[in-house]
Amino acid sequence: MKVQVRQEGSCTIVSIQGSADVGASAALRDAFLRAVDVGATRIVCDLSKTDFICSDALGVLITAYLKAHGRGGFVRLANPQKRLRELLATTRLDHLFDVFPDVACALKDA
Amino acid sequence: MDQSPADTRDSAGWTEEVLPTRLTAIRESERKVLACLAALGYGEDHCFAVRLAFEEALINAMKHGNRMDPSRQVRLAYRISPERVEIYVADEGAGFRPDCVPDPTVDENLQRPCGRGVMLMRSYMDEVNYSANGTEVRMVKYRANPVRGFPESGRRC
Repeated sequence: MKVQVRQEGSCTIVSIQGSADVGASAALRDAFLRAVDVGATRIVCDLSKTDFICSDALGVLITAYLKAHGRGGFVRLANPQKRLRELLATTRLDHLFDVFPDVACALKDA
Repeated sequence: MDQSPADTRDSAGWTEEVLPTRLTAIRESERKVLACLAALGYGEDHCFAVRLAFEEALINAMKHGNRMDPSRQVRLAYRISPERVEIYVADEGAGFRPDCVPDPTVDENLQRPCGRGVMLMRSYMDEVNYSANGTEVRMVKYRANPVRGFPESGRRC
């Protein structure tokens, strides 16, 4: 898994490439916590190149959501592929996160 | 559950492993299972489902069963045929009652960062059975059954 973090306006884009599996969730947690620690509260997670997410990694996204939401911000999910969309529906996390078809849509009104 | 991995290891096709309680140890076993699925031509949807359930079962065994105690081990056994995938995972913890795990999909639990493993295993596998004390789980995925939510794509993983 590769995690890239970049700034776009007032938003922080976290792109996850590959598998966010149990072996990668610590790195994912570090990336999100580092972003939140430096003040990021408006976070878009680009899932367009993410092929797998375990429950540990879902927990990282939820923790980031709680931290950002607690400071008046958000964590939005962009472009999850078919299996991840199904996973979000199965867990009903698509009721917690706002899910957008791509990063540009997620940045609108942000 | 009537049979433990030790009871069934003489049957053809069983692979047994004893894993240390270390999350990074999961990957190598997972790699072997996925390679086996690919060799047998399982589709990407089935590979995703088995991978997810496999990880969740081992994470649960290490985190919640063995409480990450490095002196405890996790026993794993799996058998993969062209028709089905069968997996056993057993920990050395105190056990639990799977029916008492809070439903992570209800509104009041959606913000909980953990507690989705059992639900995901049940959602993505065709059979999930726990031993009476909850220290061992058996999961089966049939190739003929589509994965919940999407028909089998047919593409190899």
